[in-house]
Amino acid sequence: MVEYTYLKRLFQAYYQEKQFDLLKVSSFNLREFGLIPWEKKVFMKRHLSFDNLDNLRYYLIKDAPRHLYSSGSLYLKPDAQDMNNKEYQGCDFIIDIDVDHFYTPCKDQHDLWTCKDCGDEGTGMPKICPKCKGSKFTKVSWVCDQCLDAAKNEITKLVSNYLSPDFGIEEKDMKIAFSGHRGYHLKIESEELRKLTSEERREIVDYLTGENINFEILGLNERSNIIYGLLVENTGWSQKIMDKVIEVLKQPKNIVKNMLLDENLFGFTPFYVRSFLNYKDDFLELITKGERNVWAIEGFGLTNWKKLLRGIVKQIGVELDEPVSIDIHRLIRYPGSLHGKTGFKVQEIELNELDDFNPLDESNEKLDPIVFKSKKKLTQKLEIVENKLPITKIKGESFGPYVKGEKIEVPHHIAVFLLCKEVAKTI
Amino acid sequence: MSIPTDLVNRYPWLPSLKHLYSDIADKRPSEFISDIFSKSDSKQISEHILIIFESAFNNLEDIPNLKDENLSIQVYILLNILVYTLDNKLITNRIANLYSKDAYSKMKQDNSESALYDICIDLELRVNFYNTPIRYGNKMLKDIREKQVTNFTIYYIDYLKLASNLRDEYRKLAHNPLQNGYVYIQNRNLMRLIQEYVRNKILIEETEDKASLKSFLEEVLKIQEFKELYEKINSIWAKRKEDFDFTFKIDITGKADILKLYPPCVKEILKKAGEGQNLVHHERLFIVWFLLALDYPVEKVVDVFSTLPDFDREKTNYQVEYAKKKKYTPYQCSTLQSISLCMKEKYKDTLCLEGYGSSEPSERKKLKHPLAYVRIKQYRDGKEEEYLKYKAKRELEESQKQNG
Repeated sequence: MVEYTYLKRLFQAYYQEKQFDLLKVSSFNLREFGLIPWEKKVFMKRHLSFDNLDNLRYYLIKDAPRHLYSSGSLYLKPDAQDMNNKEYQGCDFIIDIDVDHFYTPCKDQHDLWTCKDCGDEGTGMPKICPKCKGSKFTKVSWVCDQCLDAAKNEITKLVSNYLSPDFGIEEKDMKIAFSGHRGYHLKIESEELRKLTSEERREIVDYLTGENINFEILGLNERSNIIYGLLVENTGWSQKIMDKVIEVLKQPKNIVKNMLLDENLFGFTPFYVRSFLNYKDDFLELITKGERNVWAIEGFGLTNWKKLLRGIVKQIGVELDEPVSIDIHRLIRYPGSLHGKTGFKVQEIELNELDDFNPLDESNEKLDPIVFKSKKKLTQKLEIVENKLPITKIKGESFGPYVKGEKIEVPHHIAVFLLCKEVAKTI
Repeated sequence: MSIPTDLVNRYPWLPSLKHLYSDIADKRPSEFISDIFSKSDSKQISEHILIIFESAFNNLEDIPNLKDENLSIQVYILLNILVYTLDNKLITNRIANLYSKDAYSKMKQDNSESALYDICIDLELRVNFYNTPIRYGNKMLKDIREKQVTNFTIYYIDYLKLASNLRDEYRKLAHNPLQNGYVYIQNRNLMRLIQEYVRNKILIEETEDKASLKSFLEEVLKIQEFKELYEKINSIWAKRKEDFDFTFKIDITGKADILKLYPPCVKEILKKAGEGQNLVHHERLFIVWFLLALDYPVEKVVDVFSTLPDFDREKTNYQVEYAKKKKYTPYQCSTLQSISLCMKEKYKDTLCLEGYGSSEPSERKKLKHPLAYVRIKQYRDGKEEEYLKYKAKRELEESQKQNG
């Protein structure tokens, strides 16, 4: 509780000092606002609205919530308590990329879990407990350059492989923001996209993820025990898949072998991997020449080919949080607000700034989400309350790992981060 | 851009009808009806209208040609007025299906790219037309390479507006070539999308405002010829409606509100079937497998389809029997989502959306199969019943105590 009061005051001071940096989102007074206060007993307050930016600034300085959100949707009555009375006018197309939802190798280092049933502990993101097969965990999810890079790569992939070339969406219509924790949001503000229904949005999501692609429709089929494959010259997903297949096949055998064995990519057994590698070069020649499309590899029937193509799609599709794009009543973090689980700023960035953007060690002050770094190099004393903590590397300096009960002295921004994460307390 | 008048005569559902025939558009419907029946060709119009209704009730795919195509506009408007006044979802769906199929047949028969382009422009669809067909890929089977070419590309938003409702895997955006915002579309597929537009246009003539409908009906029934036509259609329907009666009232547990136990994906299909709307292939398969998995008798499953525009009892019976023999498992939730049949968002179903097993959101399990939905609902119903019995017993005991 003491920490909450302290953090709330810090957030208030931040909003007071930087109030004029807070930007106005488009159609500001048609958006519903939502917030999560610091008090634990209150979950989320929704159905709020602000007539103008000054009112929002005043509110933030006065109340400084833990999290602040605004709707992707526009309403004539955004503050109506009943969704049916809000007079819905349309919704921006929102894409949320969050490493919570996909595997990155660094999670095996920094994401910790404890099984609620048997107490077993480990790292990574298991679906079930390896010891008791239980599925309930308490988790400590962390951030590092590697996973934030993975999220950034997904945004780059999304824009340069899909939104621009396929959908023809212009850069000026895309608003990108670092979420303040483990990912990025991309919002497309276009009158036309705003009119799409959830079902129509799902079609776009399926296109971006490749999740529900039917390979038979793209050309894979079996006739008289002969498998006919996809063609590289076919515009659309067929081409995307085949380009990636060629890219994979051009890799050295040992790399392809590891990919094919990897449970998170293809998950083939050694027998099929051996067989595939024996034919790798012939297969590459066949598909690059494109004269024939009979795919013949020993032991590979339609099921294995589909498994291979699914693995390929997994690599080229965008890892996005589907419900966020489909649900037209979602709220997303307000740009420029603070994320209550890290103390980082939700930072808007231009597409051309994305490449160089490094949220945990950004050199451009205007884009830096780490807003609590003290110029006077202030430090703070804390006691760790979580069983184990991984290494925290922010602004090029590493802290930890720590264990429960450890008393530490860390720079101000690291202290804010650990307090927001609720893994430490002030002493 | 102005559209040729003969194209509007052939396709009276085009929006240009309003501008080209503003004299008709400005008239009140009752005035328009009186005008029609005061002319010498009114008999031909009435006869053609009856043919359309009879064809729809008899599951025909085409409407016989009008002798005088110049009357097609009057037929179209009168047809819409009748659909509105009859106010019967089953009839509306049948007319919408038939009339839109007929529109498709006509476009196919005309086989004119320029006419198709004019239609698209009139419908304000953003299309690119290529005089020389452009190539977007190949089809290859047994070393035979067939070029994939088309005259048209359509803006993806317009494509989605027309195609997403069809729930056809081939029309999924991801299965179609998309470049710079435009989907490559073959002429016949474009026609199929326009067919869907025509179908929806007739469907939206339905009204929720029953009071206005009543007063409108009273007004137009004063026109004797219209009244006769209206009554004739009603009498044909009265004879035929038994064939389409939606007899899906199956009670496997002895409870009357069995529908309450069904997941939204099933409710939606049953609702559509009940209204005589066409069901796509996946919807048909899923509902058959789902009901059979719950041990529904074959004849009751067949009855679900009795209202559909293309219903054939014998064929349906054979197919349901076959499915029963094969013991297919109904699609799981992830598959239903992938083929756009998951309705959890539309119905805002809390069990589907939030999961089950705990009051703590983070501990809830996700629902993975629609059959699990029935099981959980039954369990919850049982619990509720148990609780109500317990509560009633407690109340009785309390009152007995108080009474001494």
